[in-house]
Amino acid sequence: MIKIQHVSKRYRKVDALKDFNLEIPPGAIYGLIGPNGAGKTTLIRILAALLTPTTGQVWFDNEEVSQAPGLIQRKVGYMPDFFGVYPDLTAVEYLEFYAGIHAISGKKRANTIKDLLELVDLSSKGETPVETLSRGMKQRLCLARALVHDPEVLLLDEPASGLDPRARVELRELLRTLQGMGKTIIISSHILLELAEMCSDIAIMQEGRLIVAGDVEQVSRRLGGGRQLEIRVLERVPETVQLLKDMPSISDVLSENGNLLQAEFTGDDRALHDVLAQLIGHEIPVVSFAPRGSGGRLEEVFMSIMEGRSLEMHSSLPAPQAGLPTLPQGTSPKAQEE
Amino acid sequence: MKGGSPIITFVALLTKELRLRLRRERTIWVIIIYLLVMGLLGFIFISESGSYNAYTLSILGRELYTLLASVQLFLITFITPAFTSTAINGEKERQTFDLLLSSQLSSFALIAGKLVAGLANALLLIAASAPLFSLVFFFGGVGPAQVLSALLVFVVTAILVGTFGLFCSTLLKRPPVSTAIAYMFCVIWVLFPWLLSLLLAVTGSFSGPWPSSLLFISNPILALISTFTFYGTFSLPAIYPFFGIYVASWISYTVINLLVSVVFILLSMWLVKPDPIGRLSRLMEKRLAKNKTTATV
Repeated sequence: MIKIQHVSKRYRKVDALKDFNLEIPPGAIYGLIGPNGAGKTTLIRILAALLTPTTGQVWFDNEEVSQAPGLIQRKVGYMPDFFGVYPDLTAVEYLEFYAGIHAISGKKRANTIKDLLELVDLSSKGETPVETLSRGMKQRLCLARALVHDPEVLLLDEPASGLDPRARVELRELLRTLQGMGKTIIISSHILLELAEMCSDIAIMQEGRLIVAGDVEQVSRRLGGGRQLEIRVLERVPETVQLLKDMPSISDVLSENGNLLQAEFTGDDRALHDVLAQLIGHEIPVVSFAPRGSGGRLEEVFMSIMEGRSLEMHSSLPAPQAGLPTLPQGTSPKAQEE
Repeated sequence: MKGGSPIITFVALLTKELRLRLRRERTIWVIIIYLLVMGLLGFIFISESGSYNAYTLSILGRELYTLLASVQLFLITFITPAFTSTAINGEKERQTFDLLLSSQLSSFALIAGKLVAGLANALLLIAASAPLFSLVFFFGGVGPAQVLSALLVFVVTAILVGTFGLFCSTLLKRPPVSTAIAYMFCVIWVLFPWLLSLLLAVTGSFSGPWPSSLLFISNPILALISTFTFYGTFSLPAIYPFFGIYVASWISYTVINLLVSVVFILLSMWLVKPDPIGRLSRLMEKRLAKNKTTATV
C-alpha cells in the first residue's frame, strides 16, 4: 500500500502539487491522468525519490520514505517518459549495467537478464546495439530495465507516448502480465482512453490538485459517466424503451436506431443482471445485450474537466483528505438523486 | 546510504564507463596523436642535437627527458578535463541521470566510478608513453627515482584536474560550460603564479628573487622541475617547510593537491544527490533547532 499524505511541491513561485492525498492499493494498475502541467511527473518523481516534497509525506507499506533511505530504490522500478539509453551498448550490456547498479551480480544477474528479455520479447535482440532498436523495442527494453531488481512497484511516466498501435497493445498485455505477477503499477498519461483500457484505478489531476480518484468503474459512475448498454430487440421497441426508463440503474435511453437501443447504465454488475432479468421477465424478445466500456463517456467528462468547464463545480467540493478523495457529485442527474 | 553493495555497483558503473569510452574512435585517436606529438618532438630534438660522445650522451638523455616530461605534463593537464568535465551533466543531457539516482548506486560509488573511468583514460596516456620515456634510460643521465617522482607529479596532476572537472560537471548544467570552466581553471592554476611573479618582478614590488614560496606550493610546473635534481640547485623555491619538515616541492605538491582533490570529491558527492540546496537548508534548520534546544536546556 502506498499512501501519499498532504504532499505539496513548490518550484520557486509555481505550485506543482497542492495538498495531494492518494492511497494506491497493492496489485493495482493505477493511472494518473491530467493535462500537461497537472503535476503527474512531479508526483511520479516524488514517488521515485528523485524529488523531495515541500510538505507532506509518502508511505510505502507503513514506512515513511524520508525516514527509510534506500527503501524506494529497492522497492520501486522507475521508467521516465524518455528512453535514457546508452546507444553504444547492446541490450544485454545495458541490462547488465542496471542489474549491476542494483547490486545484482554473478549467476543471478545472467538469469535475471535472460528472463527479462524473454518477458519483453527481446531475446533475439540481446546482442543488438540499443541504438538500432525500434521505439517500441526501446520502450520494452526500458521496462525490462525498470524490472531488473524485481521491484514491488513500477512507476511508468507516459509509457505509451509515441508508440504505434501495435506497440501499445503489446505494452498493455505486458502490464497485465506484470499485474498478474503481483506488481503495483502506477502509470501517467494525458490520454484518458489509453489508461481506461489498461488501468484498474485512475486519479484525475489538474493544476497540481486531485480532482477525483478511484477504480475506473467507480470514477465513471461518480462522474456520471456510467456504462452504455446496447440492446437489440426483435420487436416491441417503445415498450422496451419505457421499461428501461423506469429502471433505477438506467439514467437515460440515448438513442433508438431501429431495433437497436442505446441506454446509459450507472449500476454495478448485479444491477446489470437485474436489467436483463426484467427484460426477459417482461418477455421482451432480446436478441443481443452488450454493456460497453465507459471510456467514451469518461473521456467526455474528462475533457470538460480539462477545459475548466466543471472545475468550478469540482472546486466547491470539500478538499480531499487522506485516502480516497471525496468524489464530485452532481455531475449527473442520477448522482444527485442518489 | 543506499542498500546495495558499493563494490558491485562501483564495478558495474566502471565497466559501463570503460566500455563506452574505449568503444569510441576518439579514444584511439587521442592516444595516437598523443604519442605522435611526444615521439615527433623527441625525434626532432635528437636529430637536431648533432654529434655526441659518451659524456654528451648523458646530457642529451637529461635534456630529452626534460622535454618529454614537460610535454607530458602539459598534455595531461589539458587533456584530462575532457575525460571528466562532462561525466555527470553528460548523463543529465543524455537523460540517464535519473536512472542512476533511482538505482542502488551510492553517491560515493557514482563519483568514484566516474572519476576512476576518467582517470583511467589519462593513466592510459601516461602508460602508453612509457616506451618513449624508456629511451631516456638508453642515453643515461636520468635515474629511476627522478622518473618515479615525475610520474607521481603526472598522476597527482591528473587526479586534481580530473576531480575539478568532475566537480564542474556536478555543479553546472551544460557540458560545454563545465568543460570551459575546467579548462579556465587549468590555465589559471598553471600560469597564474608565474604571471603574477613576472608582473611583480617587472613592477619591482618585491625585493627577493621570488615573492612567496606559497604562491607556487600547488604549481605543477615547479613540482616537475623539482624532480629534475640532476640540474643541481635552482634559484626556484624547490624546497618547502612542510609541517616543520623541509621537503621537495613535488612532495608538498602531492600532499596538498591530493587533499584538495578529496575536497572536490566530497563536494561532488554532495552536489550529485537530488536537491542539494534543499538538503543543505534542512541540515542547517536541524542544526539551528538543535542549538536552540541545547540553549533552552
